[in-house]
Amino acid sequence: MKVTFKIWRQEGPKDKGAIRDYEVEGLTEDMSFLEALDHLNELLVLNNEKVIAYEYDCREGICGQCGVFINGRAHGPHDNMTTCQLHMRSFKEGDTIVVEPWRAASFPVIKDLVVDRSAFDRIIEQGAYISAKTGAAPEANAIPIPKEMSDRAMDAAACIGCGACVATCKNSSAALFTSAKINHLNGLPQGYAEQHKRVSEMTYQMEIEGFGSCTFTGACEVECPEGISIINIAEMNARLTKSRIFG
Amino acid sequence: MKLDAKVPEGRLEDKWRNYQVQSQLINPANKKKLNVIVVGSGLAGAGAASTLAELGYDVKCFCYQDSARRAHSVAAQGGINAAKNYQHDGDSVWRMFHDTLKGGDFRSREANTYRLAELSAPLIDHYVQQGVPFAREYGGTLVNRSFGGVQVQRTFYARGQTGQQLLMAAYAQLYKMVRAKKVEMFPRSEMLDLVVINGNAKGIVVRDLITGELKRYAADAVVLATGGYSRVFRLSTLAIGCNGSALWKAHKKGAFFAAPSFTQIHPTALPQSSEAQSKLTLMSESLRNDGRIWVPKQQADTRKANDIPEHERDYYLERRYPSFGNLAPRDIASRAAKERIDAGYGVGRLKNAVYLDFRHAIEKFGIQTIKDRYGNLFAMYKKITGIDAYQEPMQISPAAHFSMGGLWVDYELMTTIPGLYAVGECNFSDHGANRLGANSLLQASVDGYFILPNTINNYLANALREDHPTTEHPAFEEAENEVRLSINRVLAVNGTKTVDHFHRELGKIMWQECAMSRTKEGLQKAIEQIKTVRDAFWNDVKVTGSSNELNTELEKALRLADFIELGILMCTDALQRDESCGAHFREEFQTADGEAVRVDEDYSYVSAWEYNAGDFKLHKEALAFEYIQLSVRSYK
Amino acid sequence: MALNPLFFRKTIIAGTGLFLCIFLIVHLSANCILLLPEETARGLYNSYSTTLRESPLIKLVAYALYASILLHVVYALLVTLQNRKANPQKYVLNRFQENSTWTSQNMGLIGTMILLFIVVHLANFWARIKLGMGEAVRLDAAGNMDVYEVTSSLFHNIYYVIFYTVLVIPLALHLHHGLKSAFKTLGFYHKKGLRIIAKVALIYAIIMGAGFGIIPFIVYFK
Repeated sequence: MKVTFKIWRQEGPKDKGAIRDYEVEGLTEDMSFLEALDHLNELLVLNNEKVIAYEYDCREGICGQCGVFINGRAHGPHDNMTTCQLHMRSFKEGDTIVVEPWRAASFPVIKDLVVDRSAFDRIIEQGAYISAKTGAAPEANAIPIPKEMSDRAMDAAACIGCGACVATCKNSSAALFTSAKINHLNGLPQGYAEQHKRVSEMTYQMEIEGFGSCTFTGACEVECPEGISIINIAEMNARLTKSRIFG
Repeated sequence: MKLDAKVPEGRLEDKWRNYQVQSQLINPANKKKLNVIVVGSGLAGAGAASTLAELGYDVKCFCYQDSARRAHSVAAQGGINAAKNYQHDGDSVWRMFHDTLKGGDFRSREANTYRLAELSAPLIDHYVQQGVPFAREYGGTLVNRSFGGVQVQRTFYARGQTGQQLLMAAYAQLYKMVRAKKVEMFPRSEMLDLVVINGNAKGIVVRDLITGELKRYAADAVVLATGGYSRVFRLSTLAIGCNGSALWKAHKKGAFFAAPSFTQIHPTALPQSSEAQSKLTLMSESLRNDGRIWVPKQQADTRKANDIPEHERDYYLERRYPSFGNLAPRDIASRAAKERIDAGYGVGRLKNAVYLDFRHAIEKFGIQTIKDRYGNLFAMYKKITGIDAYQEPMQISPAAHFSMGGLWVDYELMTTIPGLYAVGECNFSDHGANRLGANSLLQASVDGYFILPNTINNYLANALREDHPTTEHPAFEEAENEVRLSINRVLAVNGTKTVDHFHRELGKIMWQECAMSRTKEGLQKAIEQIKTVRDAFWNDVKVTGSSNELNTELEKALRLADFIELGILMCTDALQRDESCGAHFREEFQTADGEAVRVDEDYSYVSAWEYNAGDFKLHKEALAFEYIQLSVRSYK
Repeated sequence: MALNPLFFRKTIIAGTGLFLCIFLIVHLSANCILLLPEETARGLYNSYSTTLRESPLIKLVAYALYASILLHVVYALLVTLQNRKANPQKYVLNRFQENSTWTSQNMGLIGTMILLFIVVHLANFWARIKLGMGEAVRLDAAGNMDVYEVTSSLFHNIYYVIFYTVLVIPLALHLHHGLKSAFKTLGFYHKKGLRIIAKVALIYAIIMGAGFGIIPFIVYFK
């Protein structure tokens, strides 16, 4: 199988960057998209060129490190999938595949397709935890948690932090990411004590990091590999109001 | 040098308590003055870093990924074991200890394994308090399921994302301490050497993966939590970045490497489909709870799975191991699959897989229950293969997975270099020759949260009286220069083949000769072949780009250089062990019906290898079993 | 903790938006008078508009209305500017139509069109009737301002009819997305409820669009 990659190359954060074309032969349908890029990189090495920088780690859709904009979609043409789960069978012989890094002011490009997502870590830092020290826990079954409550928390907790929601959002809003974490913890009895502080500080950090505001285009929930519902954002808004009144 | 495991006195049940009572304590005001480096941010690393910080130490934590949350603990799917006995099915700490030791084919230390089981219950309490959304019954209590090698239900899980959920808790707790300014986090930083001053571990040399800059960090103790090294096989269930370099550097600086050849081959991964493949995706072992494994009774059967009638299916695990059936331990299930595939009964396009069938479970429990239990695994299977496993069976195949081997550690988790600790998968402590499913998250967590923070003080209490190391020390200078030299050496080769080329070569040799079954001749041949690969690598590898930029090829090359040397040690270790135990199956040592033959009188020891200028010297830590009767591991 | 501007601004937009949605219902109901036979319609319409002008309560509501429009526009502008800043570099290729609706991606553009419409609309009616600009409005038999005449004559101009009819399209689109998301912005997160709201928003947008769009035509052909 032969395709043409149009890939964003950018030496460093200050470099301007541009799309470069690469015609690649010898691909198979069974290859994952990242394996196709690996193959291209091997060709580049043999051609004495610098390899393309892109991110990945687990390659099974859970670590959240991979993530590029492929043919106009975050993580490629399918809904709810990571880049590493995309396979070349989703493309046709002779296709042109445009590959760009995540674009957002809060995700500055480091090199080629690699961006800096540490803004997410700093949002987490502002309260995505329950302040209990190791050793301070009561018996696990001491607080029964209704299955529905636990399931809802799990739905939100499934976020892998890949940043596709920000990347696909026209406003580069991190509302889906932030709300998922808030709802996971605030929805559990263990997270109750710090609920108001958590919601107000995490959303405040989201603002400081320069993410935009949510206008409910709904693109994020379509691109989210874990299919996290946009309703989480509405719930976060409710929690924010609640924290204003009671917090 | 004599290996001293420092196992405390007393009855098995009292050892850990006795240890804690007797170990030295450090005044809170003094803890502030002590620095600890933690390399790795998975469950073991993040757990250790956050807990040490909570205790008052100043911690620096390093990881090569862009965020601590990517550590490969994230990928464990099925669950975490704990002897809670919530199911009232006869579980206990003792039973769990026994299962783990037996599962590991009696090749681990009793005291360590018992402690693992003992601390499992409080660990579940800990994670629940940290907000992990474990599966619940309608009444609000926690659910359990079974896992391989065990006849009770003691596995806790959060859908198919248990590892991810635990890691999110650990990562969040870590960042809580980052916010409290007690932990300084260094993502995108790879440790490239250990610094040893006067025989004690006192710091590391790190490469900033963005700028390429080499940086020195000094500390009063160094904790390695760098995970497993099964990427030595290239194709494995591990993340692409997982590597053995930190271990290898520590090994070269004097830390003994224990049982390197004990690497687990996981029975339920997705089969390889092409040469270009970079990774074998794991399907959780928990699927074996409800899925039945089979191959056609007829060789090279070309019919579709659903067209093969019931009586023409060979449920070979149920046939060979009636009492454990599909839940036989991993090493046994993997080997049984290999046996069938090698005999020509394999299925799939490359005839390298077996079926994992849910038809009966769906008939019995209904599709919704199966969806609740494994929904995301089925979804993942569909994403990767394009096949709907609710309609036809999955195709699975064995793949390199966990490394039981690692740096030799004593009861305190300290390596043979004073002040250097190894926690989680990177040490050799609890699993023996084979790890039971859902014990990996457990060991990493228990090491990081509960054990290390209670043992490191015993060493640091003395460090308090010494001068704090500084990065100006000549040992740092020397280590940094060595790292710089090796980087320049790789870049200078400028040959004709890519790093991946050599990794594929290494992987093929390792998979062929040092994986599920091994022979003396094969291993001897493999060592020679790997040496050839090593020479070819240093003569003909090509890495483009420079050392002072983000250069993924350079990273890969440095890791591979260490993997190659590690590969030699693994084969050397497998060669010296003239017996079959757990994951280590030597074809010369088997019964007539193909079961492993252990040789307890000669090999009841942990092999611990000392690095000696390119060569390896074997030390033996004898395993004394005071509380358990060694038996032939039978799952029939 | 400081007020979170992202959230505050969006709340203002959603709140004022919902208020304007209610206003539109009243507006359309009143416009339905125009569909009656001319004799009835003229008297009724003119007396209704006089009542509106003279009631102090309605005056208060009117001020709220002006404020709402102003706040809605100003905050939408602020939010848009900030969102642009958050996302300065666009993709070379972006297939957003595959993951979201065109409307949701272009609320600003649509809103600007509506703003343009409002300006013309106010010039046509509000400026003449309330500010007395342009040609003076005559009185009808009952002594009320003959607003009916103003409307009727305007909608006998085919260009205005087309202008008013075409611009209900962005209005309907804006209302559809706006109504749906306003509830989420204000923190309504009941799953089933949101599904109902989505349906209600669609029906509401169709009624508003069709209602406002068809009246000028009917008046034109009357």
